[in-house]
Amino acid sequence: MTLQTMSQDVIATAEKPALSIIDYSLSYKTANGLISALKNIDLTIPKGKTVGLVGESGSGKSSMAWSVMRYLPPNAVETGGAIRLAGEELLDQTPFQMADIRGRRMSMVFQDPSTSLNPTIRLGEQIAEVLMRHRGLTKAQAWAEAEVALARTGITRPKEMLQRFPHEASGGEKQRVVIATAFACEPELIIFDEPTTALDILTARQILDLFNQLRDETNVSALYISHDLGLVSRVVDEVSVLHKGVIVERGLVGEVFAKPSAPYTKQLIGAVPNPDRWIGVDAPTDPKTLIKLDGIGVHYGAPSKIQKMFWPEDAEKVGFWGAKDVNFEVRKGELLGVVGESGSGKSTIAKVLVGLQDFQGNLEIEGKTIGSRKAIDRAYRRRVQIVFQHPDASLNPRQKIGRIIARPLKLYGVVPREKIKARIAELLEMVRLPAEYADRYPHQLSGGEKQRVAIARAFAAEPELVICDEVTAALDVSVQAAVAELLVKLQKDTGAACVFITHDLNLIRQLAHRIAVMHHGKLVDFFDRPDARSQDRDPYTKALLDAVPVHTPVEAFEIA
Amino acid sequence: MSWGYFIRRLLAVFLVLAIVTFAVFAITTMLPGNAAIMILGEYATPDAVAALEKQLHLDQPWYAQYLSWVAGILHGDFGTSLRLSLPVTQVVGEAFVNSAMLGATALVAVTITAIPLGALAALKRGTGMDLGLGLFSYLGTALPEFVTATLLLVFFAAPQHGLFPAGGFVAPWEDLGGFGAHVVLPAATLGLVLMAHISRQVRSEMSEVLSSDYIRAARLKGLTERRVIRRHALPNSLAPAIAVISLDIGYLLGGIIVVEEIFAWPGLGRLLIYALENRDLPVIQAVTLLLAAVYALSNLLSDIVIALLDPRVRYA
Repeated sequence: MTLQTMSQDVIATAEKPALSIIDYSLSYKTANGLISALKNIDLTIPKGKTVGLVGESGSGKSSMAWSVMRYLPPNAVETGGAIRLAGEELLDQTPFQMADIRGRRMSMVFQDPSTSLNPTIRLGEQIAEVLMRHRGLTKAQAWAEAEVALARTGITRPKEMLQRFPHEASGGEKQRVVIATAFACEPELIIFDEPTTALDILTARQILDLFNQLRDETNVSALYISHDLGLVSRVVDEVSVLHKGVIVERGLVGEVFAKPSAPYTKQLIGAVPNPDRWIGVDAPTDPKTLIKLDGIGVHYGAPSKIQKMFWPEDAEKVGFWGAKDVNFEVRKGELLGVVGESGSGKSTIAKVLVGLQDFQGNLEIEGKTIGSRKAIDRAYRRRVQIVFQHPDASLNPRQKIGRIIARPLKLYGVVPREKIKARIAELLEMVRLPAEYADRYPHQLSGGEKQRVAIARAFAAEPELVICDEVTAALDVSVQAAVAELLVKLQKDTGAACVFITHDLNLIRQLAHRIAVMHHGKLVDFFDRPDARSQDRDPYTKALLDAVPVHTPVEAFEIA
Repeated sequence: MSWGYFIRRLLAVFLVLAIVTFAVFAITTMLPGNAAIMILGEYATPDAVAALEKQLHLDQPWYAQYLSWVAGILHGDFGTSLRLSLPVTQVVGEAFVNSAMLGATALVAVTITAIPLGALAALKRGTGMDLGLGLFSYLGTALPEFVTATLLLVFFAAPQHGLFPAGGFVAPWEDLGGFGAHVVLPAATLGLVLMAHISRQVRSEMSEVLSSDYIRAARLKGLTERRVIRRHALPNSLAPAIAVISLDIGYLLGGIIVVEEIFAWPGLGRLLIYALENRDLPVIQAVTLLLAAVYALSNLLSDIVIALLDPRVRYA
């Protein structure tokens, strides 16, 4: 170890890497004693290079970012090692010295631009304040400089954007502001903490392109933190894979992707959805319509009576169409994918289908027409079940798992009362959870396990259609793959149809028989899975498909 | 701020006031029991009762009484006090000015102490200072005005040291020092409860803002702690506190009745109690309406200030 430290030192004096982390360990003090977050981390970012740090939630990748920025919570205990910025030890800096280094010599781009910008301060001031602090500019100079910085990020009318408040800008525009702020003082190092995770597919793609462009222009060194190996392969030179606080593998991104050596890396790469690897059930041989959506429309935000009375011209503009004139049908036993960006209306359609949302138009279930939400009866509700995105929000935290699953069993009288207990055990087994889990509370389970419980609850009613609304979006990649496989297995066993709503185009192409694409509340495209790349696809579908990261190892290798 | 937002709020205030006039009128006039008999006592002669009914227009149908009353108000005429034989406008006007001076002193004192204290507690969360302020707050909220008033009187107005006068009133335009001495104890009584309440509110808002992503971002931009607190954290914590302050004005109006009686402060509270004891209906109506109007307008004012502090509200 000393030898290694020494050789690192030699490198540091020779060419001074932008960042070198040497044998660094970090723990957190908790009620249960010290919990180790990072163990003997070695990481070097040569000048002008970008290094990726990949890991799932809880791997310690965010702790690493906070360590470098010297922004650790009070219960953090550093148990040794060094973090050097251009050869200068950061661990020895006083908080006052650190405040001077932050924003000037190293800066950070955060995951969610909608929470990392102050909602009550104009965007211009939020860029300019850094320039005033670190470069001693006057207010007027700083605003002029901020305009230049913003123009570099591809904002078309930067002067106007400076005057806006965060809620007046789109997610992509806000992230550009955050990036402009990070680059404003031309720092030596920028840490990117999942900068595209909170953004839509197309916007994320643009931000990634912007990152590559700025990196070429400024020759900045960067640490790029992400859970998404495929995405990281597009922007970094080298990658380190972090698992439970330990770097299990490191190397050039192409090599790691092509020849992963650590078992964990192999598992991670294997779990990444590959659109060419079909894992779904066989398509129903004799397609029969289960539910037909006929001209479904949902209008959100009706004007109040007072508005109608006093400001009739404004009242007409109130609200928007969450979904407009949507027509498609779900076939028995199939898996229908619905894709679109946030706000495209895909969740609105899910709510209409399960009877949680008032709608216009008609639903037709096996010939029976339902013209409004109120006309939806108990029998229909039993036949159509839903699984929501966040199991934390959809499972009652005060009820035991057994009681949660028993609810639909009792409500619909699926099994006689005395058999409920046995049925709960069966259902838990169906979703590959031990029967003892019936006596646990949701908070005692992991995210993936909770989502399995939510799935078990949906299937408890023995439905003919299960709506899955972004059920994997909140889960880690490896857990996500397992949940997707579980759904396919349940479909095979029960013959239920599934409407799978997602923004993940790679995942849906592994599962779905047919895919519906929604955009601004309208159904813009509808096709059989094999036709995804055919010429007559809607331009929007093409744009989405082009924007998703390439995941197959071979292609990634070619890029690198 | 958009004018539409302001006009909508203003219309709502007028609507509230219209409903209040009706409620006040209904309670004082339409409830069972003849006002004239209530005023004259049960041994009054029928002639006297009839004469008073005519004077009060009680012989007319209730809607006519209501309309003539409202028409009078719109002309600034609240009628004549039955006991004092003076125009209600004059009687209530003087009392209102006195109460407003007391209320405003209390409110200003509370605002300039409670907000920094709350912010300080949030910044020093979990320390002795935070706990001390918390304890003080709970005591302040738990003790009713007549208890705090008594305690203050015992400790600061007892004859042996006589730091402050135990009661009474001196107009500031006559003797500013005298006014100051007289206002301290009643204002402190009113203020203690509010201070506890508001500093708690600021503390919880500020703690939440301090743990937000954008404060973390501001610190990681290397901004000075001073700027992080003053420019980023404090303004965002104030909007909810101001909403609470305006709701507290309602509480203040209730507290003022008790406090004025204890400290013999010649304001609306004392006047209301006097009018109630003497069944001076026009005065009761005018004071009640005035208190409601103050409450509604202070809420309007707080809505406007909040809209200025938080740009997102302006378009709501």
